[in-house]
Amino acid sequence: MDRKLIFDKPPTSYNNTDFFPPSLPKINNAEEIIPDKFLRKELPLPSLGELDVVRHYTNLSRLNFSVDANFYPLGSCTMKYNPKLNEDIAQKNEFLLLHPYQDEKYTQGALEVMYELNRILCEITGMNQFSFQPSAGAHGELTGMLMIKSFHSLNKEKRYKVIIPDSAHGTNPASSAMCGYETVVVKSTPSGLVDIDELRKKTDSTVAAMMLTNPNTLGLFEEQILDISEILHKKGALLYYDGANFNALMGIAKPSLMGFDVIHLNLHKTFSTPHGSGGPGAAAVGVTKKLCDFLPVPVVDKKGNKFYLKYDIKHTIGRVKSFYGNFLVILKAYIYLLRIGRKGIRRVAYNSVLNANYIKEKLKNHYIPASDKKCMHEVVFSCVKQKNRGASALDIAKRLIDFGIHPPTMYFPLIVKEALMVEPTETESKSTLDNFIKVMIEIDKEIDTNIERIKRAPSTTPVGRVNETKAARFPCLRWEKPGE
Amino acid sequence: MPYILNTPEDIEKMLKEIGLSSPEELFNHIPKETKIDDLSLIPERKSELEVSNTLNALAKRNKSINKLNSFLGAGLYDHYVPCALKHLVYRSEFYTSYTPYQPECSQGILQAIYEYQSFICLLTGMDVSNASMYDGATSLAEATSMSLRINKKNTIIVAKSVHPEYREVLDTYFKHSDYSIIEVPYNNDGLIDTNALETLLENNISCLIIQSPNFFGLIEDIHRVSTMIKDKNILLIEVTNPMSLALLKEPKQLGVDIVCGDGQPLGNNLCFGGPTFGFLATKKEYLRQMPGRIVGKTEDSEGNVAFCLTLQTREQHIRREKATSNICSNESLNAIAAAVYLALLGKEGFKNAALYSLNNTHYLIKRLKEIKEVNFPFKTLVFNEFAWRINGAREILKKLEEKNILAGVILDKFYPELKDCILSCCTEKKTKKEMDDFVDTLKEIIHG
Repeated sequence: MDRKLIFDKPPTSYNNTDFFPPSLPKINNAEEIIPDKFLRKELPLPSLGELDVVRHYTNLSRLNFSVDANFYPLGSCTMKYNPKLNEDIAQKNEFLLLHPYQDEKYTQGALEVMYELNRILCEITGMNQFSFQPSAGAHGELTGMLMIKSFHSLNKEKRYKVIIPDSAHGTNPASSAMCGYETVVVKSTPSGLVDIDELRKKTDSTVAAMMLTNPNTLGLFEEQILDISEILHKKGALLYYDGANFNALMGIAKPSLMGFDVIHLNLHKTFSTPHGSGGPGAAAVGVTKKLCDFLPVPVVDKKGNKFYLKYDIKHTIGRVKSFYGNFLVILKAYIYLLRIGRKGIRRVAYNSVLNANYIKEKLKNHYIPASDKKCMHEVVFSCVKQKNRGASALDIAKRLIDFGIHPPTMYFPLIVKEALMVEPTETESKSTLDNFIKVMIEIDKEIDTNIERIKRAPSTTPVGRVNETKAARFPCLRWEKPGE
Repeated sequence: MPYILNTPEDIEKMLKEIGLSSPEELFNHIPKETKIDDLSLIPERKSELEVSNTLNALAKRNKSINKLNSFLGAGLYDHYVPCALKHLVYRSEFYTSYTPYQPECSQGILQAIYEYQSFICLLTGMDVSNASMYDGATSLAEATSMSLRINKKNTIIVAKSVHPEYREVLDTYFKHSDYSIIEVPYNNDGLIDTNALETLLENNISCLIIQSPNFFGLIEDIHRVSTMIKDKNILLIEVTNPMSLALLKEPKQLGVDIVCGDGQPLGNNLCFGGPTFGFLATKKEYLRQMPGRIVGKTEDSEGNVAFCLTLQTREQHIRREKATSNICSNESLNAIAAAVYLALLGKEGFKNAALYSLNNTHYLIKRLKEIKEVNFPFKTLVFNEFAWRINGAREILKKLEEKNILAGVILDKFYPELKDCILSCCTEKKTKKEMDDFVDTLKEIIHG
């Protein structure tokens, strides 16, 4: 296959430039308008025909696994089906060609979407108000932690620590650090839950907050959540909910009732918006009453029948992004919720948890579950038994690719040796799960019959195992003109 | 039930395997005090057709700029996006994939992002680019953090002519830290006040942030500014509009250390402000301090060319609280759109988009100069937007709106001192007729 970079394709003779006409009868050269010292000498871009470009990127797209083509049980990422209705509506000119600085009278439909989505999310989570400004989960965490910081500052409290379980996503400590907080790690018990005794010991009046994912990254519900919340609140600390795993609880339990003060929901996970090869996502950050005055500006509100952007928030942390958020992502989440409705959200949780437990049950005699507890929407296996026989979690992951299955998340959470984290999501059928189970058992057997094949895997992809060490050691991060 | 494939029989079988008799039992261990009993305020599910109708009705309550004669810019620009772009970017092999952590089954995404990084380097003249940030404002905040890490100083200087919302985000990111932010005013020409700047260049300054074309559309003399701070161990961060780089000198050649901005003009729509993407590029000596994902070229076990995410030890999933940033999800698809856009337009097309925007903008300025009631607060060495002043600007804007003309953004909401000033923008999409209509209507309004 032709793996040339777009820059290495031979230029086509036809000048591919008439996407739009010259706008004026006479077009002046830049030199006639702008002094020479400000102008560049050359613009080293390709000159290709439309078909060249279309074929290039079409062929590139075909080298990828995707939810539309493959089972994608990537733990912690909730790779559920992305409904096409969402995409079609988001492509309407009325949403696509809306400028954020248009007067509100022109954007009532868009503002209503944000207003209504806020209402539904408040209902599902028990929060009082959401901001849709953050662009991704980590951005939501930063927003939430900045609100917590402002809250404590306003109360003249000097709290400089944030408690984070050892099973947490890396974004949690990184987001806390961006707010100037020191991270205090609490370890997990052998069964995979927060060690309450250690938490109690580490929680004092210097702790600003705890960041907690629930279900946690082992796919387990923190059963002592009410105790956790009490321990923190008693010392004046707040509780932050990382909603990366909210899919398991949607319509079942409310973060507000668990004692969370600030939460973020990943619209690109739980609410079906696509991951787009790594983004755009969007995070909705919700707060209980005591933190409403700290939300980023603006939020959408309603006066009479008119929706408007409200900037008047007493102790706002300010903006975390220009304009109002990743609007098209917000729109898709809203469409999804309208489509599945009140019963649907509960079905999402039922089926995502059922699917994960089914996989756990069927594989538990082959791969060691990281916990003996009932899992929620995802199950973590340790491939230690396989590793001892010569195949690491990585080897198994790579071999799955040959069966057309995207590997689970590997080596995470960090507290599980040789971890594979499997999140099937609710949108997969039993037969897809049965196939996955069959393949996993087959690979386990193959360790004893044909380990070489596993070590060589994948062998059906455009490239074999990629040398990541070389990439990091000798960084080659861009195309350069031959000879430069 | 939409989007769920398990049949009641499947569910029954699966529950039986697990040893349960109802799905509710899956949640038995969740404290009942935390459970929801009432969902009645959430709407009932609707069919695809019904939702589609509901959303079409909502869409009609928006009036998008294709139905108006719009001169709105101020950070987001209505450039023409070739039809082929959406057919490529919206291939589900791109949009329904995750971050390419498994390179063997993500070579297409990885190569597309590698090409994106290369395009950004070609436009900016920089050595390295990351795989995208959330937007222009956050890319600036991240560039600033980079600078604070690089020279370990504590004060940030930012020109007041940097996009007001970017400065607001900068403030949000740093106001709770030990860093301080100083704003440099603009001078009578609307450009960074270099006299004021001179007095601020103390030892503790980590970086100087300047935007060019600045918020008023004016092209700043970046080279002059970079000469001023030379040898002072101050990093120069430039916010720029990537479309302007079709014509303007590469930031690296002007002495810029980190260049960032919003990539929206490159093949991304306005989308009511998002998603767009931020770009960030720098010199290779600062590579290890760069935030976000980076794609590198390497080889596979057989020695074939292959791509993968690299230098991940800078990132949160490895380095946790010591990471260069907390960013994980970025705006990959929007960055891929930028690569596809630049590839489709090519050298000539891209240059023309910028050149026609420039010509239109200067044509509109020329026509507005015909009106004696209109004046210009600054000089007009601008790329694609400019500030102009007219008495009773708010009222005039309203009257223009009645004629379906969105003349621009009122500046005094960001700069109270710029009373009655309007920021207007032209892209290559503006026709002569639209610009003439604007000016003629304005004349009618003024002269009754």
